[in-house]
Amino acid sequence: MSGKAYSYELILDFAIPESLSGTQRWVLSAMRRHGLGLVTMLWRILGNEQDVCDAYQETFLKLAHYQGGQRPEHIKAYVFRSASNVAISMLRRKIIERKNLSEISNAGNEIKSPANELDSKSLQQRLRSDITRLPEHLRNVVILHDLGDLPYCQVGKVLGITEATARVYRCKAIQLLSVWMSKEEQ
Amino acid sequence: MRSVNINNKCQRIRTWLYTVIENRIGFGAGWVQNHIAGCPRCQQRLASVGKVALAISIIKSQPHNLDLWMRANTKAIGVLKHSLRNCPKAEKLKAVLPEPKVFEKCFKYKNSIANTAACIAIVFLMKVGVFSSMNKFQSESEKIVRQYYTSQIGEDLADEIFSA
Repeated sequence: MSGKAYSYELILDFAIPESLSGTQRWVLSAMRRHGLGLVTMLWRILGNEQDVCDAYQETFLKLAHYQGGQRPEHIKAYVFRSASNVAISMLRRKIIERKNLSEISNAGNEIKSPANELDSKSLQQRLRSDITRLPEHLRNVVILHDLGDLPYCQVGKVLGITEATARVYRCKAIQLLSVWMSKEEQ
Repeated sequence: MRSVNINNKCQRIRTWLYTVIENRIGFGAGWVQNHIAGCPRCQQRLASVGKVALAISIIKSQPHNLDLWMRANTKAIGVLKHSLRNCPKAEKLKAVLPEPKVFEKCFKYKNSIANTAACIAIVFLMKVGVFSSMNKFQSESEKIVRQYYTSQIGEDLADEIFSA
């Protein structure tokens, strides 16, 4: 990951002219204002500190590169949405990797006991993987409201939908998640 | 201006409607609870929704390290352009730690604040004279009740009741 960071550093230092992106102090202001909320949301989505740092870095890199270094109109919406997208792609990659690993080691035949069912780690993993399966519009609402702790009015503003629609989407998402989770148990 | 007012009113009514609907047909409503108690399919549905809620609350209850934000900032600032990396604001962000909000800081004093507020309220009510008026109201109402009993069951019995 340090190699990746180093390469980004080089790109930014040499490939992008300073005049194109201006001073970009607003990137740091956005980091100060929304950083903690983002870190909390990313931590809840990914559950791994290294991944959180990677996703956070990628989000702000995207922000700094937005349309050649221009300031987006709604920074909060942009930052939260791109962080959520980055985190979901990372999570999907991890799930695939885990699946491949379990296939190789034949660990796929897990014994389903009541103790296993109550295992909080497996419950979290199942929820995370089911969230990645949700349709985008439902997933965004669950991530922003339940994991990002944003109230419905702010979720609506971030996603460009009304508060009522956000509530309906959340309700549908929870229904789908509950069906999938109970099916997985059976 | 008028349309803004209408929108605000509309929003307020919608929020109020959600609360009312949730109270009437939410999981907590009596008739819903009664139905669930006798319906195995609904019990199963409720259990699975509860499991999702449980998983979400478990995820939310896991704390991250206090310095995670600081580390994430350091990493993110490291890939920004040179002028941003070296500005004082960036240095501050590299060393920032999450701070509780003013409300959260005051939370531990909530009991003392509530007690002080209650004392102030009592003093205010005494100053205004609410307590003396309340005594007056009480004696007046007692008189009325006594009159009623006297007219209904006679003076002797009424005296007996109110002298006890």
